[in-house]
Amino acid sequence: MIQFQNVSKIYEGDVQAINNVSFNVDNGEVVILIGPSGCGKTTLLRMVNQLESITDGEIRLHGNNVKELNKIEMRRNIGYVIQSNGLFPNMTIEKNVMIVPDLLGWDRKKQRDRFHYLMELIGLHPDDYRTRYPHELSGGQQQRIGVARALAADPPVMLMDEPFGALDPIIRNRLQEEFLQIQREVKKTILFVSHDIDEAVKMGDKITLLRKGEVMQFDRPTEILNHPKNAFVSEFVGQDRVLKSMSLYSIKDLSQAISLKQKVESNDTKTIKEDTSLRIAISILLNQEADQIIVLDDAGNNLGSLTLDLIEQFLHKEVKRTEIK
Amino acid sequence: MELISDLINYFLNNYDILFGFTAEHVQLVGIAIIIAILIGVPVGIYITTNEELAETILQITSIIMTIPSIALFGIMIPILSIINQGIGFLPALIALVLYSQLPIIRNTYTAINDVDPNIRDAAIGIGMTTFQRLRKVEIPNAMPLIMAGIRTATVLNIGIGAIAAFIGSGGLGVLINQGISRSNSTMILAGAIAVSVLAIIADLFLKYVQKRFTPKGLNS
Amino acid sequence: MSKQKRIAIIVKAFFWILVLAFFYWVVTNNMFSRIIEDPNKFFTLLTQHITIVIVSSFIAVLTSIPLGILLTRPKFRRGEWLVVNIANLGQTIPSLAVLALAMGVLGIGMKAAIVALYVYSLLPILQNTIAGIDSVDSKTKDAARGMGLTPKQILWRVELPNAAFSIIAGVRTALVINIGTAALAYLIGGGGLGVWIFTGIQLFDNTYLMSGAIPVTLLAILVDLGCRVLQFLLVPKGLRLAREAIKS
Repeated sequence: MIQFQNVSKIYEGDVQAINNVSFNVDNGEVVILIGPSGCGKTTLLRMVNQLESITDGEIRLHGNNVKELNKIEMRRNIGYVIQSNGLFPNMTIEKNVMIVPDLLGWDRKKQRDRFHYLMELIGLHPDDYRTRYPHELSGGQQQRIGVARALAADPPVMLMDEPFGALDPIIRNRLQEEFLQIQREVKKTILFVSHDIDEAVKMGDKITLLRKGEVMQFDRPTEILNHPKNAFVSEFVGQDRVLKSMSLYSIKDLSQAISLKQKVESNDTKTIKEDTSLRIAISILLNQEADQIIVLDDAGNNLGSLTLDLIEQFLHKEVKRTEIK
Repeated sequence: MELISDLINYFLNNYDILFGFTAEHVQLVGIAIIIAILIGVPVGIYITTNEELAETILQITSIIMTIPSIALFGIMIPILSIINQGIGFLPALIALVLYSQLPIIRNTYTAINDVDPNIRDAAIGIGMTTFQRLRKVEIPNAMPLIMAGIRTATVLNIGIGAIAAFIGSGGLGVLINQGISRSNSTMILAGAIAVSVLAIIADLFLKYVQKRFTPKGLNS
Repeated sequence: MSKQKRIAIIVKAFFWILVLAFFYWVVTNNMFSRIIEDPNKFFTLLTQHITIVIVSSFIAVLTSIPLGILLTRPKFRRGEWLVVNIANLGQTIPSLAVLALAMGVLGIGMKAAIVALYVYSLLPILQNTIAGIDSVDSKTKDAARGMGLTPKQILWRVELPNAAFSIIAGVRTALVINIGTAALAYLIGGGGLGVWIFTGIQLFDNTYLMSGAIPVTLLAILVDLGCRVLQFLLVPKGLRLAREAIKS
């Protein structure tokens, strides 16, 4: 786990880059650092692996003050992914991915096996890529390799600096999904810099919103969206924040909080799976294709129907925390 | 110390000779560069339309560039002797023009090719003819790099021009040549220093010109 | 075959026919007679020539590359611009002037020639070493640092392989210039094939001229070619791809 305790950074000439920042990244959790450009998010991330110095306060990694750790050793135990992937153009994909294990002195067999495992994990065929070079790959593939390289020595902690920032939206979306899939399997402790609130909401267990080096709000995505602490947070997350937050709830959440409408038997109504997000459900209902949609569970059983009224009720109960009528 | 005072005395006593040699040197290099520009820039522009030819031309010019200057003079003497011009101004001029081709052609070619395709598209889009496009868009954008090629060629030519003195073309190399045959080290040093200073001044001057030739919008 | 391709082939053919015609003319007029009549003298001059070039370039490589590496370390970065500017200025000075200056300081002989060539070839190698290391993407270096490579490992595994192309190009430039300048070594009593070229100029004797000038030319062209092959072989494939990617 990573703990920030009253961390500050002052550049030469009294420029306050980071001001008294405190929050924790718990084990197996993804925390997103977000904020407008120049807010210090990348600086803060780079302070963890000591690429930037800490002026004041402490950053603790598994309880140890990072300042007291051996920089080289510590960095080898932290996965590091950056926006433009930083792959070494002179090395093959295998050499790139296996650089840290190689530095740690792993034997050939162990490296091979690990390479295979990682490539399967990121969905690229190991033998197709082993002897190829970074410049033969597309941007999306390069970024996947960047992630594999960071995971190579199985570090418990990962730092990711806008890893998908340079990709086009479709590829970015796919990589985000893939990454969440991978994270469910590997359960790393991750600090992740992003400038995109949608990405933050989608990827983060928690979000740290920074402004001019200060934490504006540190909370779960639903809280940030539904209960912004101040005007800045509210403006940053956007006026459609409630709609955004709907993507974080599934129909199942709704059916557990308030019950669905009675079953209706009708042939022309649409059906939807209960793990679909409310945002998609709203979109379908607004499409005027139907006033209600039938909710099905995984086995295909009819659980009841969903209407805009119900969603509104849910919204008031869960989000606005007020009852209507 | 004695060496330096000897040198100063030499410069003071012989400034008129020095001036004459410098004028000869500048004349040789100047004429060569003008001819080289008149050949190299059009060739450089033309080969942007023919990639295969560009490769061939650049290969040939880079082979010529590899030939050591004194060897090129040595080879030209027998050839030009056929028309009784084996030594003197002409072989020196031809050599300097040849050596200038690589920097000038290569830089012109690269510069025109490097003009942002979007700018070229825009120029075509607003209905410019090929010639208008060259004159109004491509050449102004390519100017700094072309000037850099001319600068490289000039500095190179000043050095080779000094060697050309051995085949009787005159110029500041004469001081070095005569100094060697008379074992006069003051004269050799005076010649070496004068040629170096000339090259450095030309370099600085053309850097300044290059800056002036850069359209204001390109200064980034 | 396209018209463009045809023009290119015609130009190429014209050039090579000119070269062949020249050699035909040289051979039929017996202008290589010095080499044929006195092969021992030829080999002595050639050996002198090559010795001057190899010794001066070798020491220059041993000096420039470590110096270039040193100047690109954070501690010495401040010195970098100064050295780069001196190197630029130094290369403006004509080779003949450098030789003449060396003679003024060290007198005549092969040693003075070697020193002059050494000093002259330091600059392109140094310049290219610095440029090559500086051209390594800062993001790549940052990633390397972030993953826990030591500065030494970054140098050997990332910076030097990436700079190899540029460094070899610098060595190639230095070698070719040195072969040409070594032909002037005769002037300061350094020997080499320049002896025959200058004798030819003084005596107006075509056999001396060609027997000296043509081998020097071929030597320069062959060394240039050899270095290009070496560049191709030594530079990792991934980097060639990277260069092509930047070009296109």
